[in-house]
Amino acid sequence: MPDTQALVNDFLNKLKKRKIEGSQATAKQTAELLRSVISQTRMPYTNQAAALIHSVKAVGERLIAANPVELAVGNVVRRVLHIVREEDLSLTTAAMAGLNLSAESDDEDDTDRDNHPALSAAAIAAASRSTLRPPSLQTLLEDVPDSAAVPHTSSSGGDSEGKSKSADKSSRSRKLKHDVIEAVNELIQDISTCHELIAEQAVEHIHQNEVILTLGSSRTVLEFLCAAKEKKRSFRVFVAEGAPRYQGHLLAKELVTRGLQTTLITDSAVFAMISRVNMVIVGAHAVMANGGVIAPVGLNMVALAAQKHAVPFVVLAGSHKLCPLYPHHPEVLLNELRSPSELLDFGEFSDCLDFGSGIGAPLLHVVNPTFDYVPPKLRRA
Amino acid sequence: MQYDDKSRVEKAKKRAVVKQTEARNRVELFRHLPQYEHGTQLPDLETKFFELDPMHPAVYKVGLQYLSGDIRGGNARCIAMFQAFKEAIKDYSTPPEKTLIRDLTARISSYVSFLIECRPLSISMGNAIKFLKNRIAKLPLALSESEAKSTLMLDIDRFINEKIILSEKVIVKHAVTKIRDGDVLLTYGASSVVEMILLHAHELGKHFHVVVVDSRPKLEGQLLLRRLVRKGLSCTYTHVNAVSCIMQDVTRVFLGASSVLSNGTVYSRVGTACVAMVAHAFHVPVLVCCEAYKFHERVQLDSICFNELGNPDAISKVQGRKEINYLDGLVNQENLQLLNLIYDATPSDYVSMIITDYGMIPPTSVPVIVREYRRDHLWS
Repeated sequence: MPDTQALVNDFLNKLKKRKIEGSQATAKQTAELLRSVISQTRMPYTNQAAALIHSVKAVGERLIAANPVELAVGNVVRRVLHIVREEDLSLTTAAMAGLNLSAESDDEDDTDRDNHPALSAAAIAAASRSTLRPPSLQTLLEDVPDSAAVPHTSSSGGDSEGKSKSADKSSRSRKLKHDVIEAVNELIQDISTCHELIAEQAVEHIHQNEVILTLGSSRTVLEFLCAAKEKKRSFRVFVAEGAPRYQGHLLAKELVTRGLQTTLITDSAVFAMISRVNMVIVGAHAVMANGGVIAPVGLNMVALAAQKHAVPFVVLAGSHKLCPLYPHHPEVLLNELRSPSELLDFGEFSDCLDFGSGIGAPLLHVVNPTFDYVPPKLRRA
Repeated sequence: MQYDDKSRVEKAKKRAVVKQTEARNRVELFRHLPQYEHGTQLPDLETKFFELDPMHPAVYKVGLQYLSGDIRGGNARCIAMFQAFKEAIKDYSTPPEKTLIRDLTARISSYVSFLIECRPLSISMGNAIKFLKNRIAKLPLALSESEAKSTLMLDIDRFINEKIILSEKVIVKHAVTKIRDGDVLLTYGASSVVEMILLHAHELGKHFHVVVVDSRPKLEGQLLLRRLVRKGLSCTYTHVNAVSCIMQDVTRVFLGASSVLSNGTVYSRVGTACVAMVAHAFHVPVLVCCEAYKFHERVQLDSICFNELGNPDAISKVQGRKEINYLDGLVNQENLQLLNLIYDATPSDYVSMIITDYGMIPPTSVPVIVREYRRDHLWS
């Protein structure tokens, strides 16, 4: 446990200081961290799934609180919890099927032996009931007597039959952990390869002699376009700069070195050029449950322009970016303001930024949001 | 002039005073517009300052100021040009065996082509030159040379006064009636008229907040911001990408224009169309402030058939941030093109109202003004 605590604290620090860039990297590291948390969790005899879920939730809540804007963290935590519940369900159904057979086979009036399978069946049933059901009013009300009942049966089961059952349980608990860790590994694999899977579909969407517009820089979009280029589709790309981070310059450089015809334009020229564009392809930061997209700043403007000119607006996002939350006030809550120095040079404007003079209330505010919300109706695919 | 027609370009080059080198890596879509390497002509022209003969020094000076970007904005350029022409007319003397009218018109045309080589004319300048040529043509033949020159100079003064300075005052007077206490006003770039409106409203004691939206590569909003904050207005400064985040709090949008075309399309600094579109999506009224002499009977459907291309290096270099140098060394690759548009065309459905010196009109009334008032006032 101690070294997972150290790992968790380290990761929390990185999240708070925004040292990790990109949802894919964040998602991967979150999954790896949760994997080590799971492998280190000590499992009680009954209700191991609940213990796992509890420990994952505890860590997950702290991670989400460290960087609420990075929704990939929350997504990964929820998926790991889902994995735990699923694995537990499949194990208990297998165990219940097995136990039912054994219960039927020795249904002699041997109360002792009868008791134990019944007990273990009851324990399993109780365990399955508590882990399988998502939080609802019923489970919340039942939870208290349930947790009281389960240790009761486990204690009675523990000092009676004991060994075989505990061996059985511990093997089952080890199996649960093992399955969960395997599934988390698969999740990590998915996250790492999401770019390739998306890029494979590139050829279906990009035709010959197309003109494509994009803004800023996204690795998914880069891979997408390069995959189409390799399949010998010739097309041109307009890249909008994406101030104030100017990531469009990076993307343009990458595309040019890979041999694509690129034109770099300023963000203000997007409306002027969009009438000559066939398709707009962008990457996203996160996709919300209603279909809305959290994207780098400036994309709402591009989406509106695309809608006006009936240009398809396509968003590429890996599965770790799908978020079950609904955005209620996305501009405010799901946004982060970056440093104003990216817009205004502090040295040049020091006379205007002098708050000590006059009224005392600052005369000059600088707004530098990171993200934009694109509502679902503006998005074609 | 069609710049994609090789023979015409060659002919123009032979007559040119300014030796422009064409840029490499031209964007296909904009082959019909001139694109030159910037920064190469200025030293060359400065040395030629004293080889005056065809060119008057005042005109030469204004041309150089355009080339270096010292004078910006439709009104400023127009006034500077007319001051230079006044000087030229003052020093003008009719050569023997030629009539004043024809010779002066030819002289002015040569000055104008020099100015075009320095920087393509804005639409307001085009209208002003038409006015001047018209006045020269209408001069009665009986006038002596000095009388003709003084009449012309008076006409120019009157034009500048009525059409530019006074009309700005009228526009400001109309526009401040649209500003109420507690308003949040958004403006884009640096328009001289909008700045005057905001300052005047502040002097009248109205309480409002200004959002200045800026964009690359010119970053003109910073100059406006400085002037406003110095006068004590509370401002918010942001980038054009953030306009959809900030638009929810905005109550009115004030925009300036380089010109308004006959179908109501507003031709102004690139990025204005984006701002107007987002404002329209958020149901915020968009008010365009434009003097009537800038109206034109042309019709333009998009921003591509008529535009101006600026310096492409201004895009690859970010002023003030040395770390953004991803494109160093790549500028000469043939796959990479840099496009620096100066103007764009905002469709008329995004504009709620146009404030001119003839009053506050909807965009559909622009052709009426062009037809009726142009004939009476401008040309008579």
